[in-house]
Amino acid sequence: MSCRNYGVAQKLPRTENGLRLYTRPDNPPRFVSFRVRPGPVIQSSLNDTVSLLSEQHPISFYELLGIPETGSLLEMKQAYKKLARKYHPDVSPPGRVEEYTQAFIRVQEAYETLSDPRRREMYDLNIAKGLHLAFSRSEFDEEIEEKNEWKSQWQSQLSGLKRRSMYKESSENMSWAARIRRERNES
Amino acid sequence: MAEQAYTVASDSETTGEEKSSIPFPEIAIGIDIGTSQCSVAVWSGSQVELLRNTRNQKLLRSYVTFKDEIPAGGITNQLAHEYEMLSGAAIFNMKRLIGRVDTDPIVHASTSLPFLVQTLNIGVRPFIAALVNNMWRSTTPEEVLAIFLVELRSMAEVQLKRVVRNVVVTVPVSFSRFQLSRIERACAMAGLQVLRLMPEPTAVALLYAQQQNVNDLTSSGSEKIAVIFNMGAGFCDVAVTATAGGVSQIKSLAGSTLGGEDILLNTMRHLLPEMESHFSTRGIDEIRKMGLLRVATQDAIHKLSFQSNVQIDVDLGNGRKIYKVLDRNEFEEVNKDVFEKCESLIKQCLHDAKVEVGVINDVILVGGCSNIPKLKNIITSVCKQELYTEMNPLEAAVRGAALEGAVASGVNDPFGTLDLLTIQATPLSIGVRADGNTFIPIIHQNTTIPARRDMIFTTVHDNQAEALIIVYEGDQNAVEKNHLLGYFKIVGIPPAAKGVPEINVSMDIDASNVVRVYAGVLMPGSRNPAAPLMEVRMPTVDDGHGWCAEALERTYGSTLDLVTVQKKAGH
Repeated sequence: MSCRNYGVAQKLPRTENGLRLYTRPDNPPRFVSFRVRPGPVIQSSLNDTVSLLSEQHPISFYELLGIPETGSLLEMKQAYKKLARKYHPDVSPPGRVEEYTQAFIRVQEAYETLSDPRRREMYDLNIAKGLHLAFSRSEFDEEIEEKNEWKSQWQSQLSGLKRRSMYKESSENMSWAARIRRERNES
Repeated sequence: MAEQAYTVASDSETTGEEKSSIPFPEIAIGIDIGTSQCSVAVWSGSQVELLRNTRNQKLLRSYVTFKDEIPAGGITNQLAHEYEMLSGAAIFNMKRLIGRVDTDPIVHASTSLPFLVQTLNIGVRPFIAALVNNMWRSTTPEEVLAIFLVELRSMAEVQLKRVVRNVVVTVPVSFSRFQLSRIERACAMAGLQVLRLMPEPTAVALLYAQQQNVNDLTSSGSEKIAVIFNMGAGFCDVAVTATAGGVSQIKSLAGSTLGGEDILLNTMRHLLPEMESHFSTRGIDEIRKMGLLRVATQDAIHKLSFQSNVQIDVDLGNGRKIYKVLDRNEFEEVNKDVFEKCESLIKQCLHDAKVEVGVINDVILVGGCSNIPKLKNIITSVCKQELYTEMNPLEAAVRGAALEGAVASGVNDPFGTLDLLTIQATPLSIGVRADGNTFIPIIHQNTTIPARRDMIFTTVHDNQAEALIIVYEGDQNAVEKNHLLGYFKIVGIPPAAKGVPEINVSMDIDASNVVRVYAGVLMPGSRNPAAPLMEVRMPTVDDGHGWCAEALERTYGSTLDLVTVQKKAGH
């Protein structure tokens, strides 16, 4: 899924989660609005994207950084530093530190993946295959570093498990501890 | 001096739990606690200002003398003579000694200091004492540092005409979290709340980011790569940072306990090869002679930065005299190992940052050793770049700390001078003991913080009901070569064949550099944890952690061991 190009974003098919993405045709986008069915339309600009960055919304790393998939390394660095100045807990408003820290960690993950040509290629490949939208980096690192047979078996089992759990809740991007914490808070 | 009503608070006041979440009404001051010198700076509303003591000094000697009932630090105390510091009554170099056990080579290297440092090599804190009226008065590096900080605090309060509670303190890159906790404890004992402990080169990086931001308001995009090398009396640190638009992103850190003190000891030993045996009896006379040699050597080293040779003339009494001309080549040869290590640290740091020499924009050399010509040569030749000259090498770290103090206190500057941010990285890996005696990193070194990572482990025995999570910090493969941060036990693992339970260990470092470890058990086919989730803030060990690991090994052997899931599946 995900948009290949922001210029054609309006023609995007609906995703499996019912997440739809509209952008203005200008490039890079100033405003992104998206709809989570059946909820209300959330209007958001890059200046207030915490909801966009929360773990519940599986959006691509490109969307996270607010750059097109054709974005250059320089654009990426600029976007990253800009978002860091917003979400880094040192500069976030008191009372929203926890929330912003989550956002920062996700921005960091997106940046580290996309700023490394090898990882970016791998990530793009996975997006093209429609496999993962965004996935936890530890998995990703290992995928690159070791490609033993047992390893990929284990990985596919794991991602199978994760996909199944996704039907219940879109928690594929949550770390294990985050998931447990949330469950604990809910109970 | 206005208020001297300060007392040293209890050991347990090290909380700092909510460091990042409470809004701070006051601007935190920056403190650079150096092995040999300290300085304090604060954001004045428009710029960073260094505070001065009543003798108008901004670089304050780091020591505490125990002369009478009341100990006095290097801030209020006026030394009658340099040798007074070396009389055995003064404790200094506390930064080198803090948080170390008596098996540590650094502690061993400190046994030739004029005050008493005794080691029994059993993994406990060393016996440290000052000579007071011909008796040894025992103390600890934390206590000495706390006494010093109380004076520093009162000096700052008199000048700023307000209460000072919050501080940003610079620390060496190579400090373990246990050592950092000792610094926090010393601050708490002095009534100071640590807002941030900042690795020294990252404080310099923030100052650099500010300077670049001021110089270059138009372009927010172009990223500058800077290499920062900081070498003081006790430590040597390197950082590689990527700076753009006031944001300094630390790409890698490397540090070592290597400093002017090592250079001094090497040179003293060169001048007087039987030095250790000479002073082993530690009578008042020996201590005085050692002081003479120390001062003369220190003086010679300083002079060698500006001239090619120096004459050393020390009378040790009883007809024992050192009369020698030391030239720079000889000095460099004597300290060859130190300089080689410096070189390899920079190379390692560049390698870890994945930065090619060609893309470096600036090379910054700061710290007390920054005048040494050999050091300058090494750095400029490795980085193929002239040195950055826009900073005072002795004030850079404290200025950076003061900037961080202002930023972290939420101060806004209408001119944008404080639109700054440091994105820190963790200098050492954090992980657990698993797969036998192996250190398995979960958060790797040079990971950007805040960070969260997790990893899955499993049991090694059938029906293993408990597992021990032993948390280490370091970069060595064998666990015992790393720093033990703490341990806890997971209980209630349901009966199952070995390798079946999924034991998830997750680690989390927040922006205040607090580490939390979470562990829980998942059984296949179940989405709910099978055992209560453990959440533990590190470090949990106190002194004697050498003993701790040994005792755990002796008592439990491998009965509560873990293995990584990957390795198990690899059979």
